[in-house]
Amino acid sequence: MKKTIETQVLIIGGGATGTGLARDLSLRGIDVVLVEKGDLNDGASGANHGLLHSGARYVYSDVEAAMECRSEGMILKQICPQCIEETSGLFVAVPGDDEAYIADFPEMCRKAKIPCRKLDMDAALEKAPCLAPDAIAVYEVPDAAIDPFKLAIENMTQARGLGAQYISHSQVLGFKMDKSGIGLARIKDTRTRDEFSIRAQIYVSASGAWAGGVAAMAGIDIPMVFSKGSLLVTGQRLAKPVINRLRKASDGDILVPGGIVSIIGTTSVRVDCPDRIFPTVGEVDLIINQGRQMVPDLGVRRYIRAYCGVRPLVSSKDGDDRTVTRGFALLDHGEEGIHNFITITSGKLTTYRLMAEKTADLVCGKLKVSEPCKTGKLPLPMAETGDWTAPGASLRHGFRLPDRNDKMICECEMVPASAIDAIAADVCRHRGRPDLLSIGLRSRMGKGPCQGSTCSARALAHLYDTGEIRGRDGIRDLTRFLNERWKGEHSLLWGDSLAQSSLKEMIHCGLFCLEMEDE
Amino acid sequence: MNNSHVQPGFTSSCAQQNMEGIHCDLLVIGAGMAGMVAGARAAVNGLDVVVAGNPSSLVFSSGIMDYLGVYPAGSKAFLDDPEEVLDRLARDFPNHAYALAGHDKILDGFGFVKTMLEDAGLPYTQHSGAAIVKNMVVATAMGTIRPGFMVPETMAAGALENGEQKTTLLVVSIKGLNGFSAAQVAQGLASRFARTIPLEVELPGIPTGVPPQILAGRLEDVKIQDALISQLLSHAPKADIIGLPAVCGIEDSPGIMAGLAARVNRPLFEIPGPSPSIPGLRLKNAFENVLAGTGARLLSNIRIKAPVFDGKRFTLTAEFDTESVQIRAKGVVLATGRFFGKGLHARRERIVEPVFHLDVAQPTGRHLWHDNRFFTPKGHAINRAGIETDGLFRPLDERGRPVYTHLYAAGSILAHNDWARLKSGSGTAIVSACSAVDAFIEARGGGDGI
Repeated sequence: MKKTIETQVLIIGGGATGTGLARDLSLRGIDVVLVEKGDLNDGASGANHGLLHSGARYVYSDVEAAMECRSEGMILKQICPQCIEETSGLFVAVPGDDEAYIADFPEMCRKAKIPCRKLDMDAALEKAPCLAPDAIAVYEVPDAAIDPFKLAIENMTQARGLGAQYISHSQVLGFKMDKSGIGLARIKDTRTRDEFSIRAQIYVSASGAWAGGVAAMAGIDIPMVFSKGSLLVTGQRLAKPVINRLRKASDGDILVPGGIVSIIGTTSVRVDCPDRIFPTVGEVDLIINQGRQMVPDLGVRRYIRAYCGVRPLVSSKDGDDRTVTRGFALLDHGEEGIHNFITITSGKLTTYRLMAEKTADLVCGKLKVSEPCKTGKLPLPMAETGDWTAPGASLRHGFRLPDRNDKMICECEMVPASAIDAIAADVCRHRGRPDLLSIGLRSRMGKGPCQGSTCSARALAHLYDTGEIRGRDGIRDLTRFLNERWKGEHSLLWGDSLAQSSLKEMIHCGLFCLEMEDE
Repeated sequence: MNNSHVQPGFTSSCAQQNMEGIHCDLLVIGAGMAGMVAGARAAVNGLDVVVAGNPSSLVFSSGIMDYLGVYPAGSKAFLDDPEEVLDRLARDFPNHAYALAGHDKILDGFGFVKTMLEDAGLPYTQHSGAAIVKNMVVATAMGTIRPGFMVPETMAAGALENGEQKTTLLVVSIKGLNGFSAAQVAQGLASRFARTIPLEVELPGIPTGVPPQILAGRLEDVKIQDALISQLLSHAPKADIIGLPAVCGIEDSPGIMAGLAARVNRPLFEIPGPSPSIPGLRLKNAFENVLAGTGARLLSNIRIKAPVFDGKRFTLTAEFDTESVQIRAKGVVLATGRFFGKGLHARRERIVEPVFHLDVAQPTGRHLWHDNRFFTPKGHAINRAGIETDGLFRPLDERGRPVYTHLYAAGSILAHNDWARLKSGSGTAIVSACSAVDAFIEARGGGDGI
């Protein structure tokens, strides 16, 4: 007899929306289980700029979305300042950019009630010395940077504190339908391959790009298109503020700081499937060649990593996927006769809280619970284990090793053994198994210039010493971890980065012969 | 080392370093495995040789010397006898160093290096017991195994036959040394030994995160050895053989290991781990001693650039931190390594060789450089990029002719050798370095006016 977990609400998907919804419902006293087929933020929530939009980006294409961003941005700056750096943002036009667009920008911002200030070139260069000196217009807006990993970890941590359950590496295989809708969700643990069931009163799919696939298991068709966006991480932070290209949304036109690095993106490439995607050499070159027009340094900088996510869009319109509304899609499948099934998808990181609120309102309506939403005002508590996600996080710890006996595991990003232990303990607490990937997700380990060349082996040795990894599991773990890092490396290997990656190959293939091991 | 190798009728010009700079017969650019071997080969043959490069790059060597451990790339088993696949390799890659040199020359090179290192106090071991010299198989700090054609004597006792040893292995880690876990090695090797037992020892005055070179230095101290022995003694009776991280001394590792083994009455061996590698550091020291002993000059931490050839001699600029000096040489061996050693440089659009701007055989575009799996069995195409040469190891121009009569290339800069996958790095370095120097000597002996 397979195990069945009972709950009021099953949330499928552990991204920003799913974790935000888990927190929202938990705060309303509702019993929640969240299943995630990978781990926190494995989809688009973990593969974006980390930009908290002021809304200025959308003033032309979608005023409503712009205003949503503005008001949500203001709320998030109040409730989770620990996840946000108030950097401000610049919109920069360079010679050749559409002058009518530039001229209309301040008025469009005013209509969306987004503060916008014109800067002369001296003031602009003072705020961001890396700007192209021949820029023809610069405006300042209240953009900010947000750490999506810290955000998801802290949302989930509070929800768990209130009784919610987080089950990672567990994929929905199908639904057992009954006359009122979904009767049961069949789940598989992707690591042990054990199957179990979850019976809930309400089922919410917050599975982003995978929402179509989840809905299909309930016999519902959601027409989705997938737009891949790739981004590059620079070796150092190039500017304090966010820098946007002042033009119609296009490739390589937003540069966002993330701690001690900067992130430049994106591209927009239609893909058939949200799985097994990686940034291509062509995309990397496109981003650099576009980005350098507003920040010339991007043409010569060392890049640490490329990564990509999929924008899940509920639409089948032709044209550039970025022009499709970035508003969210909240679908009550009661309209199709399945009264206990809801899909929330699309949308933006900036509006994740609002998406969660609207979804929770719908859930509460179905459960006849009258508790109001609390996430608009209640601060998001800081979670200890959310502390190691931001680039340069350890700098905030003042380079302080708490204890002389604390080994340094990742020297690039200063992640000590004590941080690994704390994260491993936390992963264990929610019935996970700590491995290099789950620790990498929750820390900066392996994300510095060496991209895991040496720290991966050091972390593995430490995990063996503490008994977290046993047998020959570690070799498979390390192989998976390095393959995962590789996804974001191989398209931008030239110059110093190539030299570094060749060292990684010297160690892990040349010496350890890991390519000879069966995965 | 003596000068008996000097060929008849061959006088070595006296080295002079004056206002005009440095004059020599042969300039070797690069002080990794290939550069050091080329320098030594030239010096013992009586050439006035200058080796210019960064010997510290040798600390990235595990100390194990490979001939050929895997062929073709992607096969899932280690080769027992490299010679068996040499014909096939030569058919697949006619311009591979091994195809150009042949098995006998390769063995000759290994023999040269083995003798030289033994004289310098760093003995190496080859597979024993068979008429043909085969690969050995040794354990790594990852808990995996790897082949090796010539391994430091201090690693030899751990060699596996057919991938196993029917013994009980005690794996010892040292508290404070980051990245070496006895538990990991013991569990990784569990199926290859009758039994594996992990043990962590604590040595006095060894701090957390101790750099391997500091720990290796401390292990030369008898008091530290005593502390190690006292902790091993209570566990040694359970074991047939004892494995330690490869940090057992810098200057006299064979002596230290032999001493420790005698005291615990068990064979002891070192297990290689990631850089900084102490066996690599020992190699660096041994090569430096060899060069010093032969009168070769080693210019450390300089950059060579702007070569000019006047029809007879090369003139190159050697840049130190703040000053530069001209080097004039009759021949040059380019042994600058690949991307990590800066012998090759990858621009965003193509790969270049920065000193002589030689032709680099390479894939047609960056999208072809790397597979999208790091551990792709076949290896990344970029790893086969490099310099193509003629049979005398002289780089070729786009028309397939030697660029210069006396410019040679050696080591990992050569094309068609994915050494990390094929486990063929040292052998390629050794045979190309020896062949290049021999060709230069041959040309001089032939009296072609240099």
